[in-house]
Amino acid sequence: MTDATAPRAPINRRALGRALSRIADAMVAEALAVLDGEAGAAREVWRCGITGPAGVGKSSLVGRFVNARLAHKRRVGVVAIDPSSPYSQGAILGDRIRIDAHGDDAELFVRSLASRHARDGLADNIANVLALLEAHDFDDVLVETVGAGQSQYEVRELVDTLIVVLMPGAGDMVQAVKAGILETGDIYVINKADRPGAKEMVAEIASVLRHPQSSDDWLPPVVLASALGGDGIAELDAACEAHRAWRASHLDAATARRTRRRAHVRALVARRLAEVTDGADDALWDVDVASAYHAVVAGLDYPRR
Amino acid sequence: MATQLQGKRILIAKPGLDGHDVGAKVIALALRDAGAEVIYTGLRKTPDYIARVAAEENVDAVGLSILSGSHLELVKLTAAALKREHADDVPLFVGGTIPRGDWNALKESGVDCVFDSEMSLEQIVDEVARRLA
Repeated sequence: MTDATAPRAPINRRALGRALSRIADAMVAEALAVLDGEAGAAREVWRCGITGPAGVGKSSLVGRFVNARLAHKRRVGVVAIDPSSPYSQGAILGDRIRIDAHGDDAELFVRSLASRHARDGLADNIANVLALLEAHDFDDVLVETVGAGQSQYEVRELVDTLIVVLMPGAGDMVQAVKAGILETGDIYVINKADRPGAKEMVAEIASVLRHPQSSDDWLPPVVLASALGGDGIAELDAACEAHRAWRASHLDAATARRTRRRAHVRALVARRLAEVTDGADDALWDVDVASAYHAVVAGLDYPRR
Repeated sequence: MATQLQGKRILIAKPGLDGHDVGAKVIALALRDAGAEVIYTGLRKTPDYIARVAAEENVDAVGLSILSGSHLELVKLTAAALKREHADDVPLFVGGTIPRGDWNALKESGVDCVFDSEMSLEQIVDEVARRLA
């Protein structure tokens, strides 16, 4: 929470928009040069991820949720990711119309990103993008993933609190997510609460969640919500505050930092791998697999700047 | 596959009170298919909102789709809003139902290029790519 007596400098949207492009477009070498020796954000910023299958209403929920966060006098930065076309590399970035419908809140900044090379529901250089937002005086940094299915571990490691959004009436959904994201969420939201089966789904999800091993463990709550009508948003906000408090009293900061750094490094290596394989001559793929593998791995490194 | 807009970010926005956005969506999809990342605002946005999105998204161009006949006023307001956000260096394109007689006035208000319904999607994409090259 910020000092209410000191007026905060307004968000410089133009400058931050440009800085985000620079870091989002950076090749790995440039991203590393920016990061080299950097300590990270000076103060505590709450990072929250919002994930879940396509069509469950993530963006509308984020729009409602953002209003709840703004009401706490927090400055909120949102990164909304949409998929890039594997054919043209183009993308339609349409999440933000649901997120900043009014578009006049001085304490809100929304940025849309295309997933580009990322295959994990996130976007190229996302870890750098989030770090940059943190360094720009936001209190909350939210990231909405691409509509996601079963394996979304990367976002888990980049955020403090992960909200998994589901909806009733999609029978396969529980099956599809049981083994994957149901092990990673801190808070579950059953959106579209007015649809038949919503209450039953809350019970069903609660029953398949990982059970806490001890009373110190976090028990993920399942919140029934309607992004359309705004129901359940206060409960979601309260659940997030409870999770932040639990983290503060139960998680070792060094472990959390290591986990996040591991995810960041892994994302950079994955990106570098895409740079090398996308840029390789066709001839590389004419040799046997083992030779191509070693050639690719050898091509990953370059001298530290 | 056309890729001449790869790496470009383009905002397609509808200011004013138009009743539909079929044309804007067709343009957005054509730009995407040429490789652009297209931020689409939906109907009935204010010039202030459009300028704010242009700044936050750091777009390479803003395309306004206007069918209401209020293009002269809406373009002036949008150009002024872009200036307030320090984004008046971003090229401004306008499409929709714009009488030829108004093109010069629009260009004097800061519009870089006007697209009319006589142009094919291919011509529009080529022209956008040429101007953003």
